Amino acid sequence: MIRPAPESRWTPVINAVLLPAVLVIAWQIWAVTLPADTRAPAPVGVVAAFFHLAGSGGLFSATLQSLGRVLLGFAFAVVFGVGLGLLMGSSRSVKDNLDPIIESFRPIAPMAVLPIAILLLGTGTPAALSIVAYAAFFPLLINTVHGVSRVDRKLVQAAMTMGVPRPRILATVILPAALPSIMLGARVAMGVAWTAIIAAELAVGAKSGGGTSGGIGQMMFVFYAYSIDLNGIVVCMIVIGVVALLIDRFFRATERWLMPWRY
Amino acid sequence: MATTNRAPKLKLSNVSKEFTAPGTGQRTVAVADVSLEIQSGEFICVVGPSGCGKSTVLNMVAGLAEPSSGTIEKDGVPITGPGADRGVMFQDYALFPWLNVRDNIGFGLRHGTPGKELSRSTREERVGHYIELVGLAGSENKYPHQLSGGMRQRVALARLLANGPDILLLDEPLGALDAQTRLILQVELLRIWGETAPAEQRKTAIFITHDIEETVFLADRVVVMSTHPGRVKAVLPVDLPRPREETIRAEPRFGHLAEEIWGLIRDEAYRAIA
Amino acid sequence: MSSAAERQHAGPPQPSSLQTPVLQRELDATHTWQGPGGAKPSQITRWMSKRGVIAIRSFVIFIALWWLLALWVNRPVQLPSPLRVAIALGGLIAAGEVSENALISVSRLGISLVIAAVLAIPLGFLMGLRREAEAIIDPVVELLRPISGIAWIPLALFIFGVGDILPLFILVYVAFFQILLNTIAGVRNVDQRLIAAARTMGVGRWAVLRYVIIPAALPTVMVGIRLAFAAAWAAIIAAELIGAPSGLGFAIEWYRELLMSPKVFAFLVVIGIVGYFADLALRALQRWLTPWAQGTELA
Ligand SMILES: Nc1ncnc2c1ncn2[C@@H]1O[C@H](COP(=O)(O)OP(=O)(O)O)[C@@H](O)[C@H]1O
Ligand SMILES: [Mg+2]
Repeated sequence: MIRPAPESRWTPVINAVLLPAVLVIAWQIWAVTLPADTRAPAPVGVVAAFFHLAGSGGLFSATLQSLGRVLLGFAFAVVFGVGLGLLMGSSRSVKDNLDPIIESFRPIAPMAVLPIAILLLGTGTPAALSIVAYAAFFPLLINTVHGVSRVDRKLVQAAMTMGVPRPRILATVILPAALPSIMLGARVAMGVAWTAIIAAELAVGAKSGGGTSGGIGQMMFVFYAYSIDLNGIVVCMIVIGVVALLIDRFFRATERWLMPWRY
Repeated sequence: MATTNRAPKLKLSNVSKEFTAPGTGQRTVAVADVSLEIQSGEFICVVGPSGCGKSTVLNMVAGLAEPSSGTIEKDGVPITGPGADRGVMFQDYALFPWLNVRDNIGFGLRHGTPGKELSRSTREERVGHYIELVGLAGSENKYPHQLSGGMRQRVALARLLANGPDILLLDEPLGALDAQTRLILQVELLRIWGETAPAEQRKTAIFITHDIEETVFLADRVVVMSTHPGRVKAVLPVDLPRPREETIRAEPRFGHLAEEIWGLIRDEAYRAIA
Repeated sequence: MSSAAERQHAGPPQPSSLQTPVLQRELDATHTWQGPGGAKPSQITRWMSKRGVIAIRSFVIFIALWWLLALWVNRPVQLPSPLRVAIALGGLIAAGEVSENALISVSRLGISLVIAAVLAIPLGFLMGLRREAEAIIDPVVELLRPISGIAWIPLALFIFGVGDILPLFILVYVAFFQILLNTIAGVRNVDQRLIAAARTMGVGRWAVLRYVIIPAALPTVMVGIRLAFAAAWAAIIAAELIGAPSGLGFAIEWYRELLMSPKVFAFLVVIGIVGYFADLALRALQRWLTPWAQGTELA
C-alpha cells in the first residue's frame, strides 16, 4: 500500500492540475514531433487560435448567436413544458389522455426531428429554435409532472382546510412544492438544449452546403470543411464546454436563490 | 356534566367509511357505524389502537373524506367539504417547507377565506399575536427544517389558531415529540384552548392520540375506539376539575381513569402484537 | 459533482410511470362529492376509462388532427398525410430498409455501450474506492465532461472520416461519462455499515468487494447504463446524420435531401419505436441484474 504523502495546503491544487498538465504537455510534445505541415492541433496552436478568433470578435458573436437561440427555444419549452406539466400533474384526465402521445414522442431523439424541421421551416433560425425547444421540452415536462404528482398530499389538504380556493392552491402550494423538481428539469433541459443547438448548427452547416445557420456549431463545421483549422475546432469545443459549465453553475445558483428553504 | 338539552356543535350519525383499494378492488371497512354528539366548547379525546380509524373520522369531520354512509352535521348543517371553520393540525404538522414561520402561520389569512375581509396590517397583527402566544418570537424568519420538533408543533398550532376555526381537529399533534416536551405542551395546549376562560368561550376540540394518560389529562370526554372495523367502544366522561395542573397526574382518580381506559384497550393491544 | 439521483432525470427515456396527480387525488376525495350524489358510472364510461382504451383514443385523435392539418396545409412535401406515411413505412419495411438501418444503429449503440461500460465501470470502482485515484483523475473528467459528444463530431470527422468509427467514437464518449459518474456515486453511496458488518463477520477485502460493494453499487450502475443509453440515443442520430453512410440518422436525412417526405416521417416513427423498445430491453436487463432494486428510486 502506498503511504499517503503528508497533506499540505497545496496537495489538492497539485492533484487537480497534475494529470491535465501532463496530458497537455504530452500532447504538445507529440505535436512537435509531427512533420511541419501537419494540420494536427496542438496546445500552443490552440492558444494562438483562441486569441486570433477572440480578437476578431467572430468567436464571441458566434457564441452569442448560439446562446440567443438556446434561450429563445428554452423559453418556448418552459412555457409549454411547465404549463402542460402543471396541468397533467394536477388533472388526472388530462394526464391519462396526453400520456400516450407524450410517451411516444419521448424516444424520438431531437436530431431526428431536424430533417422535418428543415422541411417545414428551412435551414435558418426557426428550424434551429424548434429543435432546441423540442429537446428542452421533455425534461421540463417530465420533471414538472413528477414534481407535481409527488407533492405531499397533506400540504394540499392543509390548504384546503384553510379555505384556500382550488386555483390558488395550484399557485401557493403545488407550484412551490414542485419547484425543486421543476428547477432540476430546467437545468437538465438547458444542458440538453445547448447540445441540441450545436448539433443543429453543425448539421445545418453540413447539409446545406456551407449553410446559413451561423452560430458556434456552424463555425466549427466551417473550420472542418473549408479552412481545415483544427486548432480553431478545438477552441470551439472548449468554448462549448465552458458555456455548458457556466449554464450549469448559473442554474445551480438560481436554485439556491429561488429556494432558500432548501439550503 | 352531561348537558344534552343544548343542540350539539357536531353530530355524527351512523357514520361508516369503506375504502376500496384501486388495484385489487379489495374493500376495507375503516370506520363502522360511529355515532357521537359533541357539545360546543368540549374537549374530546379519541384514543384507540393504531389503524382503528381515528384519522379517518377526523378527516371526515374536516371534510377531506366523505362518509360511505351516515351523516356528519355541524350546527345542524351537513358537512360537504373542507372549510376554515374546522381547522386541522396534522400528525406530521404539514408545514409548508418553503415558507418561514411567519408565512406559514399567515398562510390561511393570506390565501384562504379567514383573511378575506381583513386588512394587511390586521392580518400581520394577528400573526404576530399567535407567534407570541405559542412562544415563537425571535424565530419568525426560520424555515421549518431549521426548527426543533417542539417548535414545529407550535408553528402548526399557531397556524391552526390564526385561521380562527371554531372546531379544532388535532391528529396526534404531540405524537412525534419526546416525553418531556410532550408534557409541557399538553399544559400549554389547554391554556391556549381556553381552559381558564369561561366554558362558552372555549373552542370545540377533537384530539386524537394513542397515549392514554394524555387523554385523561386533556379531555372532558374520552372516546375509546376499537379496531376491525373501527367502532366506538365506549365514551367516558373525565370528571377531573379544570384548570388541570401537572399535580393532577398524581391523584388517585387520574390513575383510575387511565386504568379503566387501558382495560378497554388492553385485549386488543395484546392481540395486535401477539 | 451532482448525485446519481439527480442524474436520473438527464435523458429522455427516464423512469417515467407518472404517479397519480396529487390535486386530483384530493379533489376526488372532496369537492367531487359536493354535488347531490351524481349518477353511478355506467358500464360504458367505466370501459372508456380503462388505460389502454384511453391510449388508443388519444392516438386516434392525434392522427385525425394530423390528417386534418395535412389536408388544410395541403403541401404534401412538407406535411404528408398519415396514410401516405403509413404506405411509405410499409414500403420501407418490405424493402428491408427499416430492418437494415435499425439493425445498424442498434448494433452501434450496443457495441458502444459495452465498450463504454468496460472502460467506465472499472475506472469508476477505482475512483469510488480510492480517494487518491479520484483526486487525480477527476479533474480531467470534469474538464472533458461539459464538452458534449456532439461537439467532437467535426474533429472526429477529420480524424476518422465519414464511416463506422465516427459514430462509435461519439457514442462511447457520451456513454462513458454517464456510466463513470453513476458508478462512482454507486460505490460511494454503499452503506458503510454494510461493509462494517461484513468485516465484523471476518469477511476479507476481496470478498467484501465481490459480495457487498458490487451488489450494493450495481443498481446505480444500471441507472447509469440506462442514462448512457438515453444520451447515446440522442447522439447517434446526430452522429449518423452528419458523419455516417448508414443507420437511422443517415436514412432520415437521406430522404429529406431527396424531399421524399413520407419516408422521412416513416423513419421518424421507426426511430421512436426502436428507441422505445431499446429502453424496454434495458429495463428488462436491469430487472434481471438487479431485482432487489425494484420498487426503489433506482428502479
Ligand atoms: N386512503 C385510504 N385508502 C385505503 N385504506 C385506508 C385509507 N386511509 C385509511 N385506510 C385504512 O383505514 C384504517 C384506519 O386508518 P386510520 O384512520 O388512518 O387509522 P388510525 O388513524 O386510527 O391509525 C386502516 O386500516 C387503514 O389502512
Ligand atoms: Mg392516524
